[in-house]
Amino acid sequence: MNRFLIRRRYILLAILAALLLGASGCSGSSRATSWTGLTIAGDVLYAADMEQVQALDVADGEPVWAFPKNTEDDGRGVFYVTPAVDKEHVVVASQVPSTGFFSQPKNVVWALESDTGREMWRFDEAAGQYVEGGALGGGLFVIGNGDGNVYALDVESGDLEWQFETGHRVWATPLIISDTVYVGSMDRHLYALNLSDGKVRWDFHAGGAFAGTPALRNGTLYVGAFDDKFYAIDAETGTERWVFSGENWFWGGPAVYDDVIYTVDVNGNVYALDDAGKQIWREPLGVLVRAGPALTEDGSMLFVTSEDGTLYALDTADGFELWSVESEGQMFSPPVVDGTAVYVTPIYGKKRILALHVDNGREIWFHPPVVEEEE
Amino acid sequence: MYFLAYPFANLMLLLYTFLGNSTVAAIAVLTLLISLLTLPLTLNQQKSSRKMQEFQPELEKLQKKYAKDKEKLAQEQMQLYKKAGINPMSGCLPLLIQMPIWFGLIGAIKYCIPSTPLDLFKFSHHIYKWLPGVVGLVPLQSTFLGMDLGRPPSMAQWWSYTLPVLVFVTYWLQQKLMTPPTAASSSSDDKSQGSAMAQQMQTMQTMMPLMMMMFTLSYPTGLSIYFIISSLIRVAQYYFIKTNGAGTK
Repeated sequence: MNRFLIRRRYILLAILAALLLGASGCSGSSRATSWTGLTIAGDVLYAADMEQVQALDVADGEPVWAFPKNTEDDGRGVFYVTPAVDKEHVVVASQVPSTGFFSQPKNVVWALESDTGREMWRFDEAAGQYVEGGALGGGLFVIGNGDGNVYALDVESGDLEWQFETGHRVWATPLIISDTVYVGSMDRHLYALNLSDGKVRWDFHAGGAFAGTPALRNGTLYVGAFDDKFYAIDAETGTERWVFSGENWFWGGPAVYDDVIYTVDVNGNVYALDDAGKQIWREPLGVLVRAGPALTEDGSMLFVTSEDGTLYALDTADGFELWSVESEGQMFSPPVVDGTAVYVTPIYGKKRILALHVDNGREIWFHPPVVEEEE
Repeated sequence: MYFLAYPFANLMLLLYTFLGNSTVAAIAVLTLLISLLTLPLTLNQQKSSRKMQEFQPELEKLQKKYAKDKEKLAQEQMQLYKKAGINPMSGCLPLLIQMPIWFGLIGAIKYCIPSTPLDLFKFSHHIYKWLPGVVGLVPLQSTFLGMDLGRPPSMAQWWSYTLPVLVFVTYWLQQKLMTPPTAASSSSDDKSQGSAMAQQMQTMQTMMPLMMMMFTLSYPTGLSIYFIISSLIRVAQYYFIKTNGAGTK
């Protein structure tokens, strides 16, 4: 073979190798692989805000505490999941990037004191990424992981009390009701587990993966799956009561008020269903939606976040769009409603936490404060 | 570069359905289909390579004759290629075509066996639902011999490191077979030039598989399966051509 051609061949292969190495993330740049989340408890808003967990005053967005205090010297990885909060604890998870070519990222659950943000314990035994937050109940913190396990940790010590292995990744936040944990897995099963020991009570097999948290009302669990179907399941026995077909996957968990169930598929179709699974109305937003909807306390308004960074406010009576607000970035997390404000967390935007008025979408405050640059 | 990812991902879903819900079998058959698709190009590359070898003595003569006039040498070489009906670029075309294929496959594996939710969300709007049996399939079963095909090798599954090693071995074998030995020359000047070239080629023959192994360490192990099968197919193809004498004319 001609030397010139051999060289050219190797140069091409070298270019290809360099491109692949760059694409693999060896360039050192960090890209978001998931989304952030918010929780409100009392007067404080807790946010897993990428490099930090933030506790902000819900009224004006003033910082109460941050963990870690200094991200430059004391980084704890990237916080994605929605914080689980009770009176004493804020439990979050982060992914600590790998430190070398052969090392793997670490996935860590952190328990913090809710009033100071001081670290109480950490748990780093899971092999996969934490995508959604966990749930607190019965003295345990229960969370699913990308390694296919559901972990139950003692909330005071962080000790592993039990773990339950599913057949695929667990990206859904569990629902704890009384002595039962309901959790969906990518293995297409929704499991009901004993809170005390993680033993299976029943499991429901669907035609697609479960990635959303079920909602419970009057003994029925409501949850959508990746087979484009939305299920009503008997919480006691795990038998199907009815099924509703959507246009695409149901990813986020539904919202329930009185006997009406509100859900949204990833194509942006918002559905209101009655408790027999009959469609009351459908509102196609024409945008991509990952997260489930949120309701106002009186159930009169429904909020939906979209991938293009728009927050929609709909009238629950007929699905009519009351207002919408665009923001810089993308919204993959569900909105959180508290009183007269709705809170959202756009990623890739300068304003990472936004408080908006429920009546008209007017901005109340945002975080972090933008520092104006001098010219 | 990822424009082939969605078609490949959908093809993988279809194969997964028809192959008893086996992700590895789906990757293997997809690799085979891609190899068949690029077969005319690889055959062309080998033909071109063989023709080049046939004309090597004439090329060497030209190199000697115009050693001090590079411009004239290039002109004469081009004339010789033209006369022999050789397209010097035809040997490189399969490599250029491989690039989007590799990127497409990386994307397809990321979409079908995602380890992060954003990859999966992107794919949710690009599933060809008119294909039979694909609704509800994603994410595909990601475990193979205790390894997670959607994630890079890790110490928690130490045996997953055998796949990058196999990538190295099979790619090295493929390189060794495909690269012809440098022609022996009579003069001492040519001998030293030939040995330098042989050394350069030997280094590259080791370096390239090593690089392939390095980046399979940071990619989902499912991609290693593609590289291993793809290299084995090329080795089999080489022996098939050699045995049947195809491509010599």
